[in-house]
Amino acid sequence: MRYDAVLNVNGTDYPVEIEPGRSLLSVVRTELGLAGSKEGCDDSECGACMMLLDGRPVNSCSYLALQAQGRAIVTVEGLTSGGELHPLQRQFLEQGGVQCGFCTPGMLISAKALLDQNPDPTDDEIRLALSGNLCRCTGYQGIVRAVQAAAAEMAVGPSR
Amino acid sequence: MSATYAAAATLEEALTAMRAGCRPVAGGTDLVVGARQGKSALPDALVAIHGLAGLHGIAELPGGGLRIGALVSHADLVDHRAVRSRYTALADASAIVGSHATRHVGTIGGNVMNASPAMETGGPLMCMGAEAVLASAAGERRLGLDALLTGPGSTAARPDELLVAIELPPPAAAAGSCYARLEYRRQMEIAVVGATCSVSLDGPRVAAALVAITALTPCIMRVPAAEAALAGSDGGAEAIRTAGDAAAAAAKPISDVRASAEYRRAMAAVIARRAIATAIARARDGSESVPIPASPALHGATD
Amino acid sequence: MAIVEERREPFIRQDGKDKVTGLGRYTADLTRTGMLHARFRYADHPHARLLGVDTSRARALAGVFAVLTQDDVPDVRYGGFVEDRTLFARDVVRFEGEIVAAVAALTPEIAERAVELIEVDYEPLEAVSDPEHALRDGTILVHDGWEGYEANEDLVRRGNDCSRSTIAKGDVEAGMAEAEVTVKERYVADMSHAVPIEPRAIVAEWQGDKVTVWTSTQVPFIARSGIATTLQLPEADVRVIVPHLGGGFGGKCEFHFEAHVAALARAAARPVRLVFTRREEFIAPDHRREGQVVEIETGAMRDGTLVARRARLVLDNGAYAADAPFFPQLAAMMVVGPYRIPHVSVDAHLAYTNTTPSGSVRAPTAPQACWALEQHMDAVAEAVGMDPVELRRRNIVREGDESATRQVFTPIAAAETLERAVEMIGYGRDLPEDEAIGVACGWWPSFAMPSGAHVKLHGDGSGTIVTGAQECGTGSVMALPLLAAEVLGMRPEQFTVVYQDTDAGPWDAGASGSQTTFNNGRAVVAAAVDVRDQLLELAEEVLEAARADLELAGGRVQVKGSPTTGVEIADLAEKAAGDKLLLGRGSGSPAPLPECDPSGCTGRLGMESFLAPTFITHAARCKVDRATGVVRVLEVAAAHDSGRVLNRVGADGQVEGGVAMGIGMALSEGSQLSADGRQLNAYLLDYKLQTASDVPSIQVDWVGAPDPNGGPNGAKAVAEPPCVPTPGAVGNAIAKIAGRVHQLPMTPLRVWETMQR
Repeated sequence: MRYDAVLNVNGTDYPVEIEPGRSLLSVVRTELGLAGSKEGCDDSECGACMMLLDGRPVNSCSYLALQAQGRAIVTVEGLTSGGELHPLQRQFLEQGGVQCGFCTPGMLISAKALLDQNPDPTDDEIRLALSGNLCRCTGYQGIVRAVQAAAAEMAVGPSR
Repeated sequence: MSATYAAAATLEEALTAMRAGCRPVAGGTDLVVGARQGKSALPDALVAIHGLAGLHGIAELPGGGLRIGALVSHADLVDHRAVRSRYTALADASAIVGSHATRHVGTIGGNVMNASPAMETGGPLMCMGAEAVLASAAGERRLGLDALLTGPGSTAARPDELLVAIELPPPAAAAGSCYARLEYRRQMEIAVVGATCSVSLDGPRVAAALVAITALTPCIMRVPAAEAALAGSDGGAEAIRTAGDAAAAAAKPISDVRASAEYRRAMAAVIARRAIATAIARARDGSESVPIPASPALHGATD
Repeated sequence: MAIVEERREPFIRQDGKDKVTGLGRYTADLTRTGMLHARFRYADHPHARLLGVDTSRARALAGVFAVLTQDDVPDVRYGGFVEDRTLFARDVVRFEGEIVAAVAALTPEIAERAVELIEVDYEPLEAVSDPEHALRDGTILVHDGWEGYEANEDLVRRGNDCSRSTIAKGDVEAGMAEAEVTVKERYVADMSHAVPIEPRAIVAEWQGDKVTVWTSTQVPFIARSGIATTLQLPEADVRVIVPHLGGGFGGKCEFHFEAHVAALARAAARPVRLVFTRREEFIAPDHRREGQVVEIETGAMRDGTLVARRARLVLDNGAYAADAPFFPQLAAMMVVGPYRIPHVSVDAHLAYTNTTPSGSVRAPTAPQACWALEQHMDAVAEAVGMDPVELRRRNIVREGDESATRQVFTPIAAAETLERAVEMIGYGRDLPEDEAIGVACGWWPSFAMPSGAHVKLHGDGSGTIVTGAQECGTGSVMALPLLAAEVLGMRPEQFTVVYQDTDAGPWDAGASGSQTTFNNGRAVVAAAVDVRDQLLELAEEVLEAARADLELAGGRVQVKGSPTTGVEIADLAEKAAGDKLLLGRGSGSPAPLPECDPSGCTGRLGMESFLAPTFITHAARCKVDRATGVVRVLEVAAAHDSGRVLNRVGADGQVEGGVAMGIGMALSEGSQLSADGRQLNAYLLDYKLQTASDVPSIQVDWVGAPDPNGGPNGAKAVAEPPCVPTPGAVGNAIAKIAGRVHQLPMTPLRVWETMQR
């Protein structure tokens, strides 16, 4: 059977009807039309589906949508504000952190979760925090550069 | 695909639902992944327990022990000062579960009740004398970890019983512990070989030691011969080597895509030695070394 | 001397904003009204005779709109080199991922249930999973009708040997006899996978007799040909569109499943979408990196001079040939390597087995063959008592040297890559006893292919590049505006790109063979030159100046030496609008292969000489945990000769990604097979990609000069070379601490076993 639920995604309440077994990823992509979060595997190994749940990263492919009721969900679509890119988004572009882009939504979410907790991470802390997000294109170096640059920018404010 | 779902608001609701045949879901990390991989379908009836306030939180027990709610996440365990300083092996284990996301969502209750022979927290809990607090409509009972874990994926809990907490007795004076794992990558690993050691010292000598091996037998188990080799010893290289060999001898390793049986057995000795040496070092210097995934201390530096 | 275009402003790829905001659409994100969901029924045995397929129960299931088998599609055999396959299995299944039937249903769940209801009757046959065994006389044939297949005339085939190539130069027997030291070794590389993070997806929709297929392919025009051939349609009736492509690395080259989905959509009279699971991405995509057995022998003088090289290679073709038949010749070139060797004899075979078909994956054959060769080079160095870098220094090819096929090298910077890499890593410095630095050299050709582009300027002076080229993430298509802007004296931001739509752009070979900048770049330059000529013609009138005195710069056409006398390009474009169209077209003719003497070669498939060859040296500092065999790569230095580098951030990103992939191949990426050829670790927990915390800091530098045979302004291939020497460099570092590991990947288990010997 289906259950009425309200999911709060990127600050907006979405009323939905959900079967108990549906994953958060599936509901957000197909019922809410927010297709930015990707599905790259079946078993929490690739991280392309990463969302924030009350500020903490979660593999939404392996999380039941009904359990996300009453929580604040953030997807990649929620990173921009007022049409402005988040410093992480802009630095991913400037530092070569984006190639095919399929890991990017999850990678950005993990990076945001990190910087929210630790505004000045070391190179190794960044790498550890992003280890749940597989990237096949960049070798991670451009992504690590981007997180460092975003952290620096957020510490002092935008440089331009 | 599950047919029904209810989110329990109180423990009583959860227990009533379980008596009616519902299966509990907390973080869902094992349950949902298992269903997606076709290992086992999602249960027909689910009761979500993530909102049960009484199952969250870590509390000091009178007398110095710790009560860890079943819904405490791996990340919470790693962040908790008392866990890090007094139950360090548990922090070691929780720190290396999956990725950041898994550690935030995955709970100690789920980890224990999934009863995987490769679960990270099982060895530390066993070596710390943990008791599982099982609740049902009929009341509560407590089981030691070795009594709780009955086989791969199976526990002594009845279908209507819910794990509500793990209780840890106070550690002995001058104690230290460590969980070490063979790691092919620095993160996103599963135990291929794991070992736990918890020791207490009496001056320069080891007063008592508990040693358990992970992913080497159908259930995580203690290794009495290793413990005997350490108890009363000076905690030096020879005692550690004897204990490591005992861990290897106790292993019943399999060959699969992750390793050969021969390699697993050899690594049982290596990883046990690392866990023991680190536990003793921690007991000696009283350090609160904060474990991070793939801490260099656990990867060759102490062998 | 590095030829690198430095830009002051960061170059932001045009697809970037789409990708960082999550608003960009990949194929699996697309929906169409009335869309159904496809699932495949795969072979239940790696090798079996197909006795019967009963789809009646599946057809009867509510919500099922189409069930197809080979009986429901034109009976066409296809294959680029050998026509050895059909869309669905006919008579025999030859690997676990072979498609027996396909279903389209209302939901993925119904489709899955329908697939399970299809009853298939098999007579199991002996399955061959070992390529060496496959080549032995008496082994069951994977294709017992192989002689009847249409095939490329240059292929040398026999039984399970789908393609044999040899290289012979000089007299290898005499060379070995003359050598003061000979070293003979055997290396085995397991098969591995491309593993793009996006699992493939396809959507097909018909409008009358025409079909549009949105697909996650690297090669839209080749996919279009495949659909047209197998469904017997004119190419004009097939439109292939690629939304954003979530990586490919070769795994999404060639024609795969587009026709299956198109056929389902036609049968169901509804749009149909197929989205692969990660497991399907491992077992079904018939494009994985082949396993290799490399038996290699080298004769050398005590002073380190290489005299002779003999090798026998057996490559695992898998069940169907795909694009692999040129692999033996390419692998043969790879085991000779970028070295001067007077006497050479290499014999390479491609063996059919009952495993997932192999095909081009990023620098096909090279990382494995180079891993074997470069470890072998270190073994030769040890045998002659010489430092391995010094051995390479004495033998690496330089300008004027001759290859094994007597190609004479024009100016190249192979030796410079070696010197730069060892300099960057600090080769020879003191290290802890559990660390070592390994070095490996490699080479890789640039591939000349036809390609076309249009450049048009709009009335307001903005421009559009219409290209057939495919962007798979590397940024090569995104960098095309740099080329057009350079020719037209405009800013790259003034151009948009229309791409990955076969109804829009001219034919292109797609994101394969590192060829986009090399070939399509040239086409874009030619098209831009065409527009420039038209602008100059207009400007001549406006400025009343001779064409030869005009130049394009800063968005203007101006008189040379008198930049204040000029006209804005936008004004010229406005003037042209409604009168003259500013539309340029370009194709640029591919350079021919360099001259060589292939008389000693059989099985010649165009790999006997290397056009605009790239050279690479990687140096890796590794730490080996002696107790466990666990290896950590701590640092990599990568020096590349790719001629002129157009976009530094993009090119560096290719190297960084290629090195990470190379480390994965070195340490953790390999498929494990059951005795009958089934993949045992077809999921990401046990097929281990390197994570962010495993990949070390990578230093990148570019050496060498523009290549006269190169692409635009002397550019050579960039995307594939970076994964070529990494496994060899890692292997040589491991060998210094743990002994030489002869099987790839060099897992902790294998490193540990090596130390036990």
